[in-house]
Amino acid sequence: MRIVVLTKPVPDPASGGERLLPDGRLDRANSPAVVNGNDEYVLEKALKLIEAAGEGEVILLTMAPESAPETMRKALAMGATRGVLVTDPAIAGSDAVATTRILAAALKTLDFDLVFAGVDTSDGTAGVVAPGVAALTGLPYLSYAASVDPDEAARKVRVKRITADGYEVLEAPMPALISGTQALGEPRYPSLKGIMAARSKEITTMSLTDLGIDGTSVGLDGATTKVVDSRPPEARGATKVVRDAPDEAARQIVALLAERRII
Amino acid sequence: MAGIWVHGESAADGSLTKLSTEVATLARSVAEQLGGAEVTGVVIGSDPAAAAEELATFVPKVLTVKEPTIADNAAGMIVAQRLAALVEANDPDIVMTGAGPEGRDVAGALSALTGWGVLANATAVRGDGGGAVATHSVFGGKLITESGLTGSKGIVTVRPNAVTAEPAGSAGTVEEVAATGELQQPAVPIVDRLEAETAAAKIDDARIIVAGGRGVGGSDGFGLIQELADALGGAVGATRAAVDSGWIPYSQQIGQTGKIVKPQLYLAMGISGAIQHKVGMQTASTIIAVNRDPDAPIADFADMIVIGDLVEVGNALLAELRARSG
Amino acid sequence: MRAVTTASRAQGPFRLTDEHQMLRDAVRVLADDRVAPRAAEIDKTGEFPEDMRRLLADHDILALPFPTEHGGLGGELLSICLAVEQLSRACATTGLILAVQELGSLPITLAGTDEQKERWFPGLASGEQLIAFALTEPEAGSDAAAARTTAKRDGDDYVIDGSKRFISQGSVADLVVVFAVTDPEAPRHQRLSAFVVEVPSDGFAVTRVEHKMGIRGSPTAELAFTDLRVPAANRLGEEGEGWSIAMRTLDRSRPGIAAQAVGIAQGALEAATAYARDRKQFGQRIGDFQLVGGMLADMDAQTEAARQLLYKACVEIDAGAPDASRWSAMCKLVAGDAAMRVTTDAVQVLGGYGYIDEFPVERMMRDAKITQLYEGTQQIQRLVIARTLLGKAD
Repeated sequence: MRIVVLTKPVPDPASGGERLLPDGRLDRANSPAVVNGNDEYVLEKALKLIEAAGEGEVILLTMAPESAPETMRKALAMGATRGVLVTDPAIAGSDAVATTRILAAALKTLDFDLVFAGVDTSDGTAGVVAPGVAALTGLPYLSYAASVDPDEAARKVRVKRITADGYEVLEAPMPALISGTQALGEPRYPSLKGIMAARSKEITTMSLTDLGIDGTSVGLDGATTKVVDSRPPEARGATKVVRDAPDEAARQIVALLAERRII
Repeated sequence: MAGIWVHGESAADGSLTKLSTEVATLARSVAEQLGGAEVTGVVIGSDPAAAAEELATFVPKVLTVKEPTIADNAAGMIVAQRLAALVEANDPDIVMTGAGPEGRDVAGALSALTGWGVLANATAVRGDGGGAVATHSVFGGKLITESGLTGSKGIVTVRPNAVTAEPAGSAGTVEEVAATGELQQPAVPIVDRLEAETAAAKIDDARIIVAGGRGVGGSDGFGLIQELADALGGAVGATRAAVDSGWIPYSQQIGQTGKIVKPQLYLAMGISGAIQHKVGMQTASTIIAVNRDPDAPIADFADMIVIGDLVEVGNALLAELRARSG
Repeated sequence: MRAVTTASRAQGPFRLTDEHQMLRDAVRVLADDRVAPRAAEIDKTGEFPEDMRRLLADHDILALPFPTEHGGLGGELLSICLAVEQLSRACATTGLILAVQELGSLPITLAGTDEQKERWFPGLASGEQLIAFALTEPEAGSDAAAARTTAKRDGDDYVIDGSKRFISQGSVADLVVVFAVTDPEAPRHQRLSAFVVEVPSDGFAVTRVEHKMGIRGSPTAELAFTDLRVPAANRLGEEGEGWSIAMRTLDRSRPGIAAQAVGIAQGALEAATAYARDRKQFGQRIGDFQLVGGMLADMDAQTEAARQLLYKACVEIDAGAPDASRWSAMCKLVAGDAAMRVTTDAVQVLGGYGYIDEFPVERMMRDAKITQLYEGTQQIQRLVIARTLLGKAD
């Protein structure tokens, strides 16, 4: 079974170094990049599936600046088979529309049974790319997966989709595109063997020309949205520290709630 | 003059979602800021009547499309296709949806089908210079950005609790529109539905959330959290540590890989406030923490931190709240 | 123009790659979760921790020093040292298991034939077998060339007679690399040859296991060889090459000890800092008193300096620096002294509590001392460095 996992390098949320350049693009030089958190869950699921099947490939597909191979290493160290990196200077500053087009075009060059994506990313949390890619590629779209059960022989896949009241169980023929959540299971820590093996795994690069996409239609020039302002969030104000005994502390909490008309 | 559309989502029981009432309210104020643009609601479903009627109390005109296939198939892609057809026929300028799972699925597919850009996860939207300007909280809340569309058309997805829902003065009209054209995208059938084990109040748009973390110590401990939530009329939330330990389902998880919420009150019991959780609740209007550790990160951004044992303080608070309601 | 520094072989400004960081983090997680809880007990019982050896083997950590074609992970010196450092931060004895596996196998790596590597590396890489390095004798410590153990050729074998002392893991190893005199008449540095002795073997005995100040879980043994037959096929390199093999081994293995020292220092620094944050006297946490804070600052700076020198030494040595001996000696010298100073100060910060075994710093201080002694005393390291600076005497 071949599973393509869409992964995105994002600024490390723990680093605190994220900031924007004057033109509104993320200053990628200022913060180390890591694999997007949600992508790790779907990657873990993909790895578990091919391990259970005893055969198969997990292929990472990333659209990112040229330095991305460093973040792909961790995913390869976890056990992915190989990586495909779409990179091109003209891509810088691309919005969700361009990203969706580029990823869809890249998918058309690959053979696969399933495509996995994280439901959203920690650096924009738009959650619109996966459904967009499904629409452009015409793949059946199964989202917010808490579980994924492929039946390779029957060429079908079943997904438990998280809804407001519980789950919908969806079924689609393969190939299909599935967006997944944390509920798919904790990502493994790469083993030493995996870490060392990653160095010799293949990462192929593709440019916009390879995908037949005109550079001026993507990137900052082709963007459909633009950042018009940015500012730090409003300071919250001083924290009141209450060290009194429980009864008195409870009275103070209630007083604050009343003061703010919450109760 | 700009036309603003509001995509109304239906809950399982056919009623309009709370989020959609907020989006509709927001659309009206954006329309006013744009010099009186036209606001139209759209409800697409297998039985859209009830939701459409409710949406009509928020906007002057609602279009409904009856799409029977939605009853037994994954809705997002089907709704997006019908919506794209309507958009093409009627030429609005802005389509606003909720930024929950349903809204995002629709917005993402609609964007691909129309080529329209998306201003995503807006915590606020205003009309400015002829178009919509959305406010976003990015990088885990470290930065607030405002963005607009480079063209005249676009989609905006709106986070819960961006505004308080407010019905319009008078009821609007509901007009049924026939679905036209073949659905091109593959339908994905729903072969089964499973109810959640616990009928927990939803945290997504709760006004008050009482959340428990590692300090709660076990699933029994969440009993107190539930009691507090009930006493305050709120919902129960949790950190990832509590979910991973199996004390509470993932649907209640707040944080980077769970839900991002913006309640009026976030009462954090035994929660350290590490960044992965903080990004999920830091925009709550009032944050009160109860923690044994005065150096917990949450002390840096809470409005009040009570240093103490969460069970003792929790029980005292329950007593106090019950005494008040008499 | 004379160069100010010879740090030029390794490419680019130095930073740990993502791979190094992943590796370090993977070992650190293991060290925190599985090794640290055992450290005090290992020191108390003084028993070789078989469970730790098993743990390292199961997680492929013992495979790091070996080439991939023989079941190893093909780790470079820096990768091995990162692992030793993280393990030693939790438990110096456990970190030593990897360091000794590297030390013992280096003679085979440097001088063994493909057939010999094929024979021994798979077992070592899997962690099924342990290897020890037997150079030191009762009368030949710093003056290793003065070894008296002999190896006399007899047909297809050599017969080894003599004894070795202070051999790390000598009583638990399956393979022992023994340096013995094959030509007593030859010039000083051409008298010795290196042999791999497979244990157990007739004529091989462990006559003593020392009671030591520190690294108490690592058995330090005295070995006796009496008419011990070893096939000529187990000789590494040529006759007379033993001294050279030993010196080249130490050039590559000393960073491993530096890594152990840096790890011990880091562990002590963290323990002392945590204590200084929690402990309150005179109404404030003791870390806020300048005399204490100043000590912690020095400890941090010394540990970091030793660490950065170690990492740099590793990449320079791996890049084939001609003054590898100097890099190797420097990093071990600096790290060993840093570990001793930092752990002593850690005990000081904890005061009375630092002196009792309820807290780990007294163990760390006892553990640190050996890093100033083995694989060449600090004085030997200084000789090596001075010789590189000054060149040979006229």
